[in-house]
Amino acid sequence: MTNLSRRTMLGAVAVAASLGFAGAAQAQAYPNKPITMFVAFAAGGPTDVIARIVSEHMSKTLGQQIIIENVAGAGGTTTTARVAAAAPDGYTLIMGQMGTHAAAPALYPNLKYNPVTDFTPIGIAGITPIVIVTKKDFPANNLREFVAYLKANPDKVNQAHAGVGSTAFTTCVLLKAQIGVPKLNAVAYRGTGPALNDLVGGQVDFMCDQVTNLTPQILAGNIKAMGIATPARLPVLPNVPTTAEGGLPEYQISGWNGIFGPKGLPKDIQDKLVDALNKALEDPTTNKRLADLGTVIPNAQERAPAGMAAVLARDIALLDKPLRDSGAVGQ
Amino acid sequence: MLRPRIAAPQDFAGGLFLIAIGLGALWASSGLGMGTLRAMGPGMLPKSLAVMVAGLGVLLLLTSLRVEGPALDRWSLRGLIFVLLGACLFALTIRGSDLPFGFTLPAIGLIAAGPLVAIVSAFASPETKWGEVLLFAAFMTALCAGIFKYALGLPIPLAPWLLGY
Amino acid sequence: MDLFSNLALGFGVALSLKNLALCFTGCFIGTLIGVLPGVGPIATIAMLLPITFGIDPVGALIMLAGIYYGAQYGGSTTAILVNIPGEATSVVTTLDGHQMAKQGRAGVALGISAIGSFIAGSVATVLIAALGAPLTRMALLFGPAEYFSLMVMGLCFAVVLARGSILKAIAMILLGLLFSTIGTDLETGQERMTFGFAPLSDGLDFAVLAMGIFGFAEVIKNLENPETRDVVRQKVGRLLPNLAEMKQSAMPIVRGTFLGSALGILPGNGAVLGPFASYTLEKKLAKDSSRFGRGAIEGVAGPESANNAGAQTSFIPLLTLGIPPNAVMALMVGAMTIHGVIPGPQVMTKNPQLFWGMIASMWIGNLMLLIINLPLIGLWVKLLKVPYRLMFPAILLFCCIGIYSINNSPVDVAMTAFFGLFGYALIKFGFEPAPLLLGYVLGRLLEEKMRQALIISRGSFMTFVERPISAGLLVVAVIVLVVALLPSIQKKRDVVFTE
Repeated sequence: MTNLSRRTMLGAVAVAASLGFAGAAQAQAYPNKPITMFVAFAAGGPTDVIARIVSEHMSKTLGQQIIIENVAGAGGTTTTARVAAAAPDGYTLIMGQMGTHAAAPALYPNLKYNPVTDFTPIGIAGITPIVIVTKKDFPANNLREFVAYLKANPDKVNQAHAGVGSTAFTTCVLLKAQIGVPKLNAVAYRGTGPALNDLVGGQVDFMCDQVTNLTPQILAGNIKAMGIATPARLPVLPNVPTTAEGGLPEYQISGWNGIFGPKGLPKDIQDKLVDALNKALEDPTTNKRLADLGTVIPNAQERAPAGMAAVLARDIALLDKPLRDSGAVGQ
Repeated sequence: MLRPRIAAPQDFAGGLFLIAIGLGALWASSGLGMGTLRAMGPGMLPKSLAVMVAGLGVLLLLTSLRVEGPALDRWSLRGLIFVLLGACLFALTIRGSDLPFGFTLPAIGLIAAGPLVAIVSAFASPETKWGEVLLFAAFMTALCAGIFKYALGLPIPLAPWLLGY
Repeated sequence: MDLFSNLALGFGVALSLKNLALCFTGCFIGTLIGVLPGVGPIATIAMLLPITFGIDPVGALIMLAGIYYGAQYGGSTTAILVNIPGEATSVVTTLDGHQMAKQGRAGVALGISAIGSFIAGSVATVLIAALGAPLTRMALLFGPAEYFSLMVMGLCFAVVLARGSILKAIAMILLGLLFSTIGTDLETGQERMTFGFAPLSDGLDFAVLAMGIFGFAEVIKNLENPETRDVVRQKVGRLLPNLAEMKQSAMPIVRGTFLGSALGILPGNGAVLGPFASYTLEKKLAKDSSRFGRGAIEGVAGPESANNAGAQTSFIPLLTLGIPPNAVMALMVGAMTIHGVIPGPQVMTKNPQLFWGMIASMWIGNLMLLIINLPLIGLWVKLLKVPYRLMFPAILLFCCIGIYSINNSPVDVAMTAFFGLFGYALIKFGFEPAPLLLGYVLGRLLEEKMRQALIISRGSFMTFVERPISAGLLVVAVIVLVVALLPSIQKKRDVVFTE
């Protein structure tokens, strides 16, 4: 897809179909026209919400509007591939996430991009910790009992997830692999909403998902939280113990969203974007909006290119084998 | 035409159509596993449905041989070609596209692709008055730009070659 | 007791000048996007989300909710005027609504749809206010097995929709189901019947299919016979229904409201079933069911009421439980969270102004929609007087832009053109498109829920009859099917009239 920006000398509105003069090179400083930030998921989802909140403030710093374009497809990989192949001029960016960058290589054998080498990282915009939750009347009351129950009754338990490639899917594959019950019955739903609905209704037994989606139901007592996969407890859920407290310290994983550009983005453009992202995350209003979502604001290291690259490398290493062993494949 | 022996030519053709789709779907889903009832594979439903569609096609075909029914309609190619061509041209030019053999179409945006749809599709009707169509196309495009681009704020390229977006 | 003080609080919030203005804005935008083909509430709400950052959460949500039910209201306009269903829920309205328009009764059809929707919306609002919480608990009883049986019941309704040959109708339903399986398989992530074509990996979009087989194919068909389409602009009768027509529609509106409300509460997307269920019911209850499909006013009044009632009650799971039942509601969750309101069971107690203010605004919004829409009927009907030689390029242009904007994808427009060809072939072979669309809409849920239920039951089909609600729904499905098939088994296949 060519995304040509051509200035024509003609002022008149053309009716003919194929006009288009290659104009003079644009010499002004970056950015001198609106920037497109792709979101590879439907509008209104967690990735989209974070992209919209962050980009609003970044637009102010950059002095150009950032347009969010939602193009969903194939677990987000279609759009991610499109951005990987785009011109590295800073006008095409993507709000990537754990699924499109860390999990996709193991899930999609025909993936058209390499999440590490085909992108220029900018920084992480938001981190969403993962909680393990069960239905209200599940026999286990803490993580130790939960793990024991799963091991003892692998044929009785049903796990819900939000579709192959979703955060709920990926993080639970890791959990099941670490507990040693990789083949546990998994029920796929189209999105977190329907899965959560059946968990609250008691039709399925447990799921893992981002804290953002689960907090209200945990607080209302509609579902039980077994543990949160972060090093320390979260302020929004002070009564939920960490996985380390529950005897499963190796289960450490969080969902994350980060901005990427195509590979070969010039250093000065990358610096400008990193700076804009930093300013957005330091802005009290933006910061509060993200925190209200249940999102953890990335620290100074994580919101820099090198930090995000490290998180990406860590997650790819963590998820690769469990995902490949799970047998789930996209194409 | 197979007129002499078929009582309901329209249904006969409809039956063939269903059989073709059914077989096509069966072929397209041939690589998908059926799975078991406990863990249904991705191919279970598409394959069963394809067989059922083709089966109903056969049934329709058989009844059409005996039971009287309507004759086959003529296809009006003029409407078909220009209406669909208009839509396809819009698809190819709104953001530009790469065609086979190294040809590319420029991204002309809504300002030019809009009138293009209206004008190309206007060839579909014998009643078209060209002056009227040109004016109307310009007016409708302006209206659409106003509604979709400005009022609703949808990210539609307006005129990348002129405005840069 | 509490209800009245709560409603008083709600109206206090909703009646503030600012919130009234926001409610009106939302309803107006909703009507607009409902009328525009392709562009749905999802894209619009997503686009307007950032604009609402500056407004307080209550006002923002009032406006966004207005867009949603306003779009449901507006969706029927194109269905009646140009036979293009803007939303899955207005497919049924094309059947009799467009026929009415062809008979010069477009005004009556639009009028009864507005009035029916208003009554349905009002009743549904009261229902949410009074019974929201208990209804949510009931909806939670619906697991995958129950949902599957409900979908089976819905497919049996589709058989009743058919005007002509039952055999052809069933073939269309199955074809719709087959189309719904295109795309990435939910359980395994494998691609199905996509021919390696990336834009198909998420399946066909409803709008692409509907605009293709209704919009484009309809235009091509109209171009070849100038006589039939000219009827549309021949004479335009009254703009509003008269007393006799109101009386005729009264009971269908009541029944439609009830059905739509009940189905709207269900998680997933129960609301899409409402109009179909209502149409089936009215056709079966009518003394002369042959009028249906030829401009029966009950066939517009009932489904339109069901549609709007469902649009209102589908807010129940979101408001009382905080779980979005469909994509639009998921977006509302996004909107709430952006505004710092975490949707969940606590909203009712923690943010009573928001909860009750939104409910009150829904009623006000319905009144506004009536006020916006009744005068617009005159305008819409005047649009029918535009000569078809100018109308059809305009319809095509609107369709192209609308479809493009769903996913910002030019490929979608090309695919719509393909389905235009496909739809034209269907018309030529005497197939009806409506059952195909219903099959398509229900297909995904049907397969999803069947597989979920069977995974949970470890492969036992008994789960569908062992669970009482599921068994009850299946019994209804069998009865509907038997009633629909009996007459056609007795009499010979009747000749299919396509217009």
